[in-house]
Amino acid sequence: MVQRLLPRLMAALLAGLCVAPAAQAGLFDDEEARARINALRNETGSRLDKLEASARAQLELANQIEQLKAEIARLRGENEVLSNDLVNANKRQKDFYVDLDNRLRKIEAPAAAATEVQPQAAPAAAADPAAESRDYEAALTQLRGGKYKEAAVSFIAFTKAYPSSSFLPSAHFWAASALYQQKDNIGAAEHYGKVASQWPEDSRAPDALLGLASTQQARNDNVGATRSLEKLISRYPSSSAAQIARQRLKK
Amino acid sequence: MNPRILTFLRGTATACALALASSLAQAQLSIEITGAGTNRMPVAIASFEGEQTLPRAVTDVVRADLERSGLFKMVELGPSPMGADAPPDFGRVRSRGADAFAVGTVAPSGSGRYQVQFRLFDAAKQVSLGGQAMVMAPNQYRTTGHRIADFIYEKLTGEPGVFSTRIAYVLKSGQRYELQIADADGSNAQTALASKEPIISPAWSPDGSRLAYVSFEAKKPVVYVHSLATGQRNVAANFKGSNSAPAWSPDGRRLAVVLTKDGQSQLYSVNADGSGVQRLASSSGIDTEPAWSTDGWIYFTSDRGGSPQIYRVPAGGGDAQRVSFEGSYNVSPRPSPDGKSLVYVARNGGRFQVTLLDLNSRQTQILTDSAKDESPSFAPNGRMVLYATEVGGRGVLAAVSSDGRVKQRLSVQSGDVREPAWGPQPRN
Amino acid sequence: MKYTRITLSLITVGLLAACSSSPSTEGQSGATVEDRPSGAASSGVDSNRVVPVDANGAGGKSAYPELKDPKNILSKRSVLFDYDSYVIKDEYRSLVEAHAKFLTSHPSVKMLIQGNTDERGSREYNLALGQKRSDAVKKALTLLGVSESQLESVSLGEEKPSCSDASEACWSANRRGDMLYSGEF
Repeated sequence: MVQRLLPRLMAALLAGLCVAPAAQAGLFDDEEARARINALRNETGSRLDKLEASARAQLELANQIEQLKAEIARLRGENEVLSNDLVNANKRQKDFYVDLDNRLRKIEAPAAAATEVQPQAAPAAAADPAAESRDYEAALTQLRGGKYKEAAVSFIAFTKAYPSSSFLPSAHFWAASALYQQKDNIGAAEHYGKVASQWPEDSRAPDALLGLASTQQARNDNVGATRSLEKLISRYPSSSAAQIARQRLKK
Repeated sequence: MNPRILTFLRGTATACALALASSLAQAQLSIEITGAGTNRMPVAIASFEGEQTLPRAVTDVVRADLERSGLFKMVELGPSPMGADAPPDFGRVRSRGADAFAVGTVAPSGSGRYQVQFRLFDAAKQVSLGGQAMVMAPNQYRTTGHRIADFIYEKLTGEPGVFSTRIAYVLKSGQRYELQIADADGSNAQTALASKEPIISPAWSPDGSRLAYVSFEAKKPVVYVHSLATGQRNVAANFKGSNSAPAWSPDGRRLAVVLTKDGQSQLYSVNADGSGVQRLASSSGIDTEPAWSTDGWIYFTSDRGGSPQIYRVPAGGGDAQRVSFEGSYNVSPRPSPDGKSLVYVARNGGRFQVTLLDLNSRQTQILTDSAKDESPSFAPNGRMVLYATEVGGRGVLAAVSSDGRVKQRLSVQSGDVREPAWGPQPRN
Repeated sequence: MKYTRITLSLITVGLLAACSSSPSTEGQSGATVEDRPSGAASSGVDSNRVVPVDANGAGGKSAYPELKDPKNILSKRSVLFDYDSYVIKDEYRSLVEAHAKFLTSHPSVKMLIQGNTDERGSREYNLALGQKRSDAVKKALTLLGVSESQLESVSLGEEKPSCSDASEACWSANRRGDMLYSGEF
């Protein structure tokens, strides 16, 4: 804009400078010369006004650009926060799902087992859910504390006292673990086998098969151990227990 | 000892003494403990045999250091000193309730110097936890005390102590600005630079020998690198426009700086002598306050998203990632020495507070209850965070443990202290 | 290059104006002088402001008395900004234009623009915000034809407040761009 206006301004200036010698040559009289100068002055003035106006417009434009930049930055910030929220929401949803899935498995497995294996099992004398979970926790605490003998007794007692408990597969599993720790391989095999056969859908079933194989190995029953490990791999190919089983079979 | 080295030592000692004399009178930092840990270990430091011959007892320094850490409670053992060689009286120590204790001996070792020997014991298990012997001049009782405290701290907590480290800060009194260096406990303050114009953003080189900072003595911000031992300094960045926010690379060879030579404030790196300028990142907004982490990131403040937030880029180049999301004002990031967490200043309803972000869990914790916090920096062991704040309209320094429990304050009689930076572990 | 052309055209205007017999030269050359009754309005503050500038003027440097004449708009050097804003407000347009005109007609004169902020928040971030303010002034001057080589925009951040109480009046006084000419910095 400025660049385009300036040459024209220069032309006006040159024209203005020509005026004086021309007047001397007598081509214009004073009146006319004055009128021309006035006209030129007005024109230059108005062009200068335009020039200033354009500079002012550029300033205005620069301010607007500044404001637009601020607006873009604000939007970018919003975008950053939203994508972060999305990442967090996705992660939280996944956590929720895993948690829910684990809970559902615990509920579904014993229910399925109950209908299949003990269809007519009379519900034991109105089980007290508070006592049930208290006894289970107590046995678990013994196990955690390394009191394997007591823990085994408690878990076996639990399986008898609460035959319809949702903790039943877990109780058998922990009883087996406690017995295995005491080198009671026969007792351990019985409970591991129970979990694997009665609650094949339970999340502990693969580990139970692995435990069963361990007890068989301990009794030098290599054929039985191999069979258990193969069963584990074919039934639960993606479980972490199956991974261990594959490693053991390689040896 | 080599006589030439001795002369040199004497020379620097005089220089230090001169610097001290000028600033000591009004600018001595005094420390105050404003919060301590909940489970402090009871520890006894018996007075060392023979230490009364020193200008001040070494064990005073040791006790003050350990107490100040907020992790230990000092147990009195009575006035009678216990030597390093005598069989330890475990019964007496246990009866006073101390879990650990130290004993020691100070003895002349010729040519005006002293040997300091000490041993640390576990009072419950009745076993020695080791000891050390060192030779010192009588006026080095502070340095020796800090080193003993570091030894005890490390044996009892498993982490290195930071009592032998130094801090840098700016003291403003009237229209005079002084860049000062002091021991971590605020004692022994020395002026590295005095100016009539502001000084900001001091940054320690990783080896502790140099400071980079921004000085306005040229009526505009210019980055200098200053060798503390010689007082020599050079311009590291003086481009057209503003030059600021220096931060050292972990290898001490390059400085990240903020320049405006190509437009608004952007991140560049230069060699410490000012050569080899390179762009580190570019954005449509302000990028400033870079800080190098030890695990390969450069953290910085940027307003590219409309409000100042913390971002990071790989030090070797790459895309920037946003790090802070809560609130509309998060500035001055400093990664912890292990790179696992970050401190920064967050504005919470008009209050500016030092905040800790766990980079793994993304959990944040506000560490202070003040309102005008600035310039946080980690101690080299990551335990404490030093920052500037205001108390009663005056600038003071404060330190808080990274769990928010232990709190200290450093202030001067008159004048404002600000822009603190915690120095690295001294190289022995 | 651009400024020499403008300078030429300004001279032209001057020439043409001189030719004309009528004295009605509005705007341009002189500057809008407020004809104050002398003494009354120029309070002690004004004379105080002049003295230190003279002291800094390094003797013969005061070649441009108009820059220090309190009656001349060129003696005004500060552009104030709104909170969190980096655009030059309309009320400072004529001031910036006057300085642009002075700089284009004195191409050897250089200007240092110092941006300032209030004291709240991080010093380094405030330094960057001050830079945004000085850059805004610089941008306006270049748009008005001033050569980039005459200008340097820097920031003092929150380090050189013109006042220091924690009040909005004070904070707004510190959100400022200052224009300093060669010899004044």
